Amino acid sequence: MAGVAPRNSASRWGFLSPLARRQYAALAWIQTRIFLNGLRTRRGSVELGARILTFFVFSAIAIGPSIGLGIGAYFGASHGLRLAPAVLLWVLFLAWQFFAALAPALAGQNPELSHLLRYPVSFGTWLVLFLVYGLAAPSTLIGLLWATAIGVGISVARPDLFVWTALTLALFVFFNLLLSRTILAWIERWLAQRRTREIVTAIFLFLALGVQALNPAFHQSGHGQFYGIGRQKPLHLPSRVWNVQRVFPPGLAADSIFQAMQHHPLKGAEDMGWLGVYVLGAGGLLVLRLRSESRGENLSEAPRRSTKARAKVRSPALLDFSGPIAAVIEKDLRYLLRSGPMLYNLAAPLVMVVVFGGAMRGSKVSSIRLEYALPIGMVWAFLGLTRLICNNLGAEGDGIQFFFLSPTPMRTVILGKNFFHLVLFLLEATLISALVIFRFGVPGPSIVAATLAWLLFAVPANFAAGNLLSINMPYRVNMARIRRETGAVGNGLLSMLTQFGILAVGAAVLAPCGLLGHNWWATPILLAFAVVALFVYLRVLGNVDRMVQSRMESLTLEIMKTS
Amino acid sequence: MDSPAIAIRDLTRRFGTFTAVDNVTLNVAAGQFFGFLGPNGAGKSTTIKMMTGLLAPTSGHIELLGLDFATHPLEIKRQIGVVPEGLALFGRLTASEYLRFVGRMYGLDRNTTNSRTEELLDFMNLADEPKKLVTDFSHGMQKKLALAAAVIHGPRILFLDEPFEGVDAIAAGTLKAMLQRMTERGATIFLTSHVLEIVERLCSHVAIIHQGRLVANGSLDELRAGVAASLSGPQPEEKLTLEELFLRIVSGAGSETPEEAVQELSWLA
Repeated sequence: MAGVAPRNSASRWGFLSPLARRQYAALAWIQTRIFLNGLRTRRGSVELGARILTFFVFSAIAIGPSIGLGIGAYFGASHGLRLAPAVLLWVLFLAWQFFAALAPALAGQNPELSHLLRYPVSFGTWLVLFLVYGLAAPSTLIGLLWATAIGVGISVARPDLFVWTALTLALFVFFNLLLSRTILAWIERWLAQRRTREIVTAIFLFLALGVQALNPAFHQSGHGQFYGIGRQKPLHLPSRVWNVQRVFPPGLAADSIFQAMQHHPLKGAEDMGWLGVYVLGAGGLLVLRLRSESRGENLSEAPRRSTKARAKVRSPALLDFSGPIAAVIEKDLRYLLRSGPMLYNLAAPLVMVVVFGGAMRGSKVSSIRLEYALPIGMVWAFLGLTRLICNNLGAEGDGIQFFFLSPTPMRTVILGKNFFHLVLFLLEATLISALVIFRFGVPGPSIVAATLAWLLFAVPANFAAGNLLSINMPYRVNMARIRRETGAVGNGLLSMLTQFGILAVGAAVLAPCGLLGHNWWATPILLAFAVVALFVYLRVLGNVDRMVQSRMESLTLEIMKTS
Repeated sequence: MDSPAIAIRDLTRRFGTFTAVDNVTLNVAAGQFFGFLGPNGAGKSTTIKMMTGLLAPTSGHIELLGLDFATHPLEIKRQIGVVPEGLALFGRLTASEYLRFVGRMYGLDRNTTNSRTEELLDFMNLADEPKKLVTDFSHGMQKKLALAAAVIHGPRILFLDEPFEGVDAIAAGTLKAMLQRMTERGATIFLTSHVLEIVERLCSHVAIIHQGRLVANGSLDELRAGVAASLSGPQPEEKLTLEELFLRIVSGAGSETPEEAVQELSWLA
């Protein structure tokens, strides 16, 4: 068997073995070829442009806070403040993990490596590739930038701490990288099957209700202050919090740096050692998950083959009326109920409202303009649906061909999808409205009217833009996994710009009316926009068949492709 | 004379500078079991895609059941069934849900859709696992489901792109019987397959496409006569099989013979 690598030597199969190095080189080469080949098409060029633009947007988001963190670190280190590194590293940790868990787009998502299973790729190589792909995630890059800023701040103030700080922060960054990958990998696993999905949903609801119940208790004793900070006994709660936080990675990393500042290297090393234990723990959990994946784990929900006599079990109709529109809605509803990642996308904005709503209540923010919480909540409700609305054919996979073969016009199919997404939006908007009203109270009638008028504009505007993007910039969606989706950046960027534009129209109308003290004026103006948006939507819908006909080949290619 | 069920004229499809299908003209009579053959990349799937509305032709004319595809696409789609190369299945539905979805998209009423779904699932031996998602089916099961979906509305023309690939022998026998019964009742079947024994057994007429051009077209006897006429030496004593006909026609059109090809790959054990 000339040319085939020998199998028995374990050293040849390590993640740094000659075989592994050849595999890394092959993957790097193939990624480069895919990238360069992609540039041959207009779509590939648009995708590259979108990636560059996204990079600058994320850089802009990251640079401001990094300057603040750097200055904070400098100030803390120059004055020997124990609190400063702890606060900064907790901010870094929470932001990193929060975005990784709740905004997969920002977390960069996990790479799809299952196609490597057919090759002799060792588990070590598999793990290295998984982490390397994770480095390209925006949340990782932002986290790295912030950690560097903190390190620079401390090192400028105390140059003698440079090596120690660099070591500690490197370990802390590695922990964050591992943890974010681990969280996403496990969430994906739990969402893949119905039973675990139900358990996770139950836990989520329990926690959400718990947060709601706990918040008033905090604020009741806080006299309007935020979580007790700045109350009459300011050191009481922080001292308890301080002791608790010290045993967690950000606290350990901060204490390690502080001990080094105080010339207690042994204590600092002990903290670093404990941080290392956390790294091993997070790494262990990730290895546990990836080990199953690398063995070709099947997360299918298929029941075992029954040995009983054939039973004529017909799936009950979810919608008991016939016709193509109902058929499309029923199919999409079944898809949604069977897709953990899609449910996850819908739930994420609700989690945000629960978390931020809880944080905002009773804080100084409430004294600014909480009457606008309802319209802001409605904007938020759209976010969970953006990927569905702006890529409404992406989940069809091979089934996209069926739509082209069937005698049902694509206009009818798209109309069915729009109707389904409208129902989902109303459901999400109702839940968010209930949360907003529960947390901030009922807004004034003029704000309610303006919000409804804005919705009448925003819904058709979103669907019109969404239909155009779905037909012209589609990308295949993996229904079972939270995965990196090729071609999603261009669509994602334009979807976000669309949302921003729709939001800007609402803000541009509502803000001046509010400043002038005439919120009621906003309603007729927004209704006029709604008429225009409805007209545009109907025009787009009327042209769907023509657009699909001219884009049929690329739609098929993009949505049916396997990787 | 009745108008043909399928009539294509000067059908051409170009991808940039590459011509995948080059001026193909073809008629298929109603009730015919028609085999459309060709080596890999010859243009078979591209031709079927154009005839079923999955791909727009660069030029040429397609008429099915007397209707022009360019002007009556939806009327034609109501009367044809297709098992395309990609099978066109929705992976996250069960077989029953998928067939009921397809029935409704073809405008069947609920009762008809439900009863046909059950009949087809029974016939295709797919009723055993009602909760299994299509994505978890084996390739053969997916093929059978795609075929069930293609016939649920009772099409007058059935286009099948490699329908027997991955299907076990028992199921293939059942499917062949079903397809033959359909042609006996007047349906037209347009089939592509690399399994030439099956084509020889099922099809009354065959066309061969090579490098985008139609190089042979007719009944098996007509093809044999054509090959015999092209031979300069002694005529074969036995009837040529379709495989022999195919190889002679395609190699005559410029392809490498298996004997020539096997001289390469000398390093392979």
